[in-house]
Amino acid sequence: MHELSLIESMLSIIREERDKHHMKRIERVRVVNGALSGAVTDALAFGWECLTQEGDLKGVKLDIVDAPLQVVCGSCGKPFTPEDAHYMPCPACGEILGHDIKSGRELYIDEIEADIDDEPTVAEDAPTIGE
Amino acid sequence: MGKTVTIVRNVMEANERRAAKLKDYFAEKHVLCLNLMSSPGAGKTTLLERTLADLAGEFKMAVIEGDLQTDNDARRVAATGAQAVQVNTEGGCHLDGSMIQDAIEELDMDGVDILFIENVGNLVCPAEFNLGEDHKITILSVAEGDDKPEKYPLMFHLSSVMLLNKTDLLPYVDFNVDTASAHARKLNKDIEIFPVAARKADGLAAWYDWLRKARAAKLAAK
Repeated sequence: MHELSLIESMLSIIREERDKHHMKRIERVRVVNGALSGAVTDALAFGWECLTQEGDLKGVKLDIVDAPLQVVCGSCGKPFTPEDAHYMPCPACGEILGHDIKSGRELYIDEIEADIDDEPTVAEDAPTIGE
Repeated sequence: MGKTVTIVRNVMEANERRAAKLKDYFAEKHVLCLNLMSSPGAGKTTLLERTLADLAGEFKMAVIEGDLQTDNDARRVAATGAQAVQVNTEGGCHLDGSMIQDAIEELDMDGVDILFIENVGNLVCPAEFNLGEDHKITILSVAEGDDKPEKYPLMFHLSSVMLLNKTDLLPYVDFNVDTASAHARKLNKDIEIFPVAARKADGLAAWYDWLRKARAAKLAAK
């Protein structure tokens, strides 16, 4: 439901990284979305489409990689990948409660593919003359 | 042509940073901060009105009220004598850290024992945004159905307390307290569950005892 605000956060991170790495044109951005992140992949894709119709990031492609849920059993300590995000019986001991979630909550920008200036044309700290 | 740069930055990082700052601020001020969440109409404001009135002699309390529109709720809780500030999200489905930072500027936090944040009525999104709180509290009214913890798991998973409100309606609705409690405990085995009827001031003693304990624990952490 709040995927649009997540996309806005993503766009501001992307702009920061673009400036930091002197990227010229950004081709694509890869995002990892965990099964329990609360962000719906389709809604992220739609939000991205809406917010990159115009402006400095127009036409940048978004790849969303769905990351699986991984937990460690709260009773016997066995790591496993539950089939269901809400009902998670341990395959070893059958415990359904108190598992420690190792991954599946994450939502992060993994990588950005872009044309990059190896030598920035104007250094930010270049001395200015005549001021 | 294109080069790939590995970034690995959490999309929620800006909010997580603000939440961490707020947490430090609450620790420094020794304020117990509670984030109250529920569906619209579950009874957050009524519960707060009761709590603020009943514990007025015991604690200095302040409230941040989150709603899409209107300052009705801030007026209601301010009528109990507590300090209240209203945040209107103008359509936003949750409160975030920057809204809480702004709201705190408007409150006189000196000597405040407990800060209640009444989140936007929504059983989904508010759970995703940390506000630097000590505890998340979920209020579920019996009119909503006992399957809600199972259907909307995250909020119950993250909450320290589930208040089952409007128990005075139990004779009229299909709600099984044991079923709802079992679903919530399946997600979160340590969750404390208090059945209450805030409008009838019923069952509130257990909730107040929990508040006293949580406040004492916060002071002990000095």
